[in-house]
Amino acid sequence: MNNDYYEFFCPVKVIAGKAALEHIPYEVRGLAAKRPMIITDKGVRGAGLLEPIISACEESDLEIVAIYDDVPPDSSTAVVRDIVGVYRQEKCDSIIAVGGGSAIDTAKAVNILASEGGDDIRAYVGAGVIKKALKPFFVVPTTAGTGSEVTSVAVIADHEKSVKLPFSSSFLLPNAAIIDPRMTLTLPPHVTAATAMDAMTHAVEAFTCMGKNPLSDAYATSAITKISASLRIVMKDPKNADARLELAQASTMAGIAFSNSMVGLVHALGHATGSICHLPHGLCMNLFLPYVLEYNLESIREPLGELLLYLEGPDAFAATPLSRRPEASISAIRRLRDDLYKHCKLPRTIKETGKIKEHELEKIATNALDDGSIMFNRREVSLEDARAVLKRAWA
Amino acid sequence: MLTRHIKPMALQARRLYVEVMFQVMGQALQAISEMDREVQAEARALPNGFIFEMMVMPNGPNMIIEHLGAGALRFHAGKPPRPVNLSIQFKHIAHAFLVLSFQEKTSVAFANDRMLVNGDISHAVRMTRILNRLEVFILPKLVAGRAVKEYPDNLKLPTKLISAARIYLKVASQFFDRVRATT
Repeated sequence: MNNDYYEFFCPVKVIAGKAALEHIPYEVRGLAAKRPMIITDKGVRGAGLLEPIISACEESDLEIVAIYDDVPPDSSTAVVRDIVGVYRQEKCDSIIAVGGGSAIDTAKAVNILASEGGDDIRAYVGAGVIKKALKPFFVVPTTAGTGSEVTSVAVIADHEKSVKLPFSSSFLLPNAAIIDPRMTLTLPPHVTAATAMDAMTHAVEAFTCMGKNPLSDAYATSAITKISASLRIVMKDPKNADARLELAQASTMAGIAFSNSMVGLVHALGHATGSICHLPHGLCMNLFLPYVLEYNLESIREPLGELLLYLEGPDAFAATPLSRRPEASISAIRRLRDDLYKHCKLPRTIKETGKIKEHELEKIATNALDDGSIMFNRREVSLEDARAVLKRAWA
Repeated sequence: MLTRHIKPMALQARRLYVEVMFQVMGQALQAISEMDREVQAEARALPNGFIFEMMVMPNGPNMIIEHLGAGALRFHAGKPPRPVNLSIQFKHIAHAFLVLSFQEKTSVAFANDRMLVNGDISHAVRMTRILNRLEVFILPKLVAGRAVKEYPDNLKLPTKLISAARIYLKVASQFFDRVRATT
């Protein structure tokens, strides 16, 4: 079912595991940088996650010359302009993003202005606008889900025009992603579950949608194995650093997979729901994943059946007849969602969120049809199809 | 000796085919927007005066479509009347040939990174749906099945034949109008 042609690109150095943060000074200096700036948010700083990074740098005589810790969840062009002002004022020469999707996307946008000049990030919107390498850029993810540390896109809100601006260039990729289990140890259960299901959806869609290829398949299946094996352990024992590291690595691997093979209808519906109802992205992924797999079932039987091996392990795979494996994969995902609901009440249906009104479903369906992800879904999705999936996901 | 001559001729024929297909598709898009409600509904969401371009990089054949408003599309031969709002660019003429000769679906070409999109992605998705709708009308079912993800179940043969005839008639009449205007 793989394409007869594909492209695969990931030049990000991944530094993962115990004492990974202590590699930051070496990596920064390796790119001839001396004055890094940290971009993060108040939650990350409040949780004390900057301390080990600052301490690691100080011990190696590398001064963090500026810290911007006010990135909002929905970052904007104005925030980017403010941060680049600080960057220039403090004569910084490199950026370390510490946080989740918003902090990382903001740092990518700041790096554009810091490297290319100007104050208006809107001048660089779109694909292929940036033609040369940007300033040294490092990412320390503090959630295990978005995969932003290995994707070449950033989305920034333009509040003046009420639109989200997409930026896409391979030059947005960081020079290195530093994955250290200390960064996700204090993540609350609800966020852990939602972001892990975000990573799971990245991997499942990368493996079943139209852009799948042998290299992205390898990353996707490995990510699914790690999430299936470690998520329940982390939910029971949040301080388990080994299982936390497995989830963080799975998130990065799923990010590499989907940025090379794209995603499908789960993301189209999730983006539409997120923008209309302001729900976290991972939560939306958890809502729609099994319903979209059921909708796509006949067009993805082969890859979905194969996923049973990675979701449930070799014994369950071998014990399930070939013809039943696709349905068994969906059941495995449903069981995982049920367990997460028991642990932290992560909603499994739209109704369980308590934040979406039934009349909003029509707008969600309409907006989902215009989402870029829908292009890579195996089935051609009509408005009626989108409505039907939403109806099934309702309760 | 003979192959040295045949190869450039084949490449020229491929380029000519892509040029002709862009012309035919452009005129057919104008025609279908005058008669098909689904296409009109899709196009109505585009801004008035919206300019769409499909081209081969860097300066190859192209097709320019303008949204006049109320779902009506107009094909422009040659250069766009205003700056382009949405550009879908094939990386090479060989990739455009694969799509326009229906060896590769438009959606597969996107998945295979054969094309770049410059502009609003949601408009690109919408224009792709319009192109798909056109293809299921003007191509025989067997060929259309290779061009689009799913051939619509609810499109009956009589409707398809009548619509295709009307589109081709309009394309022919537009072609003669253009020839008359240039002579």
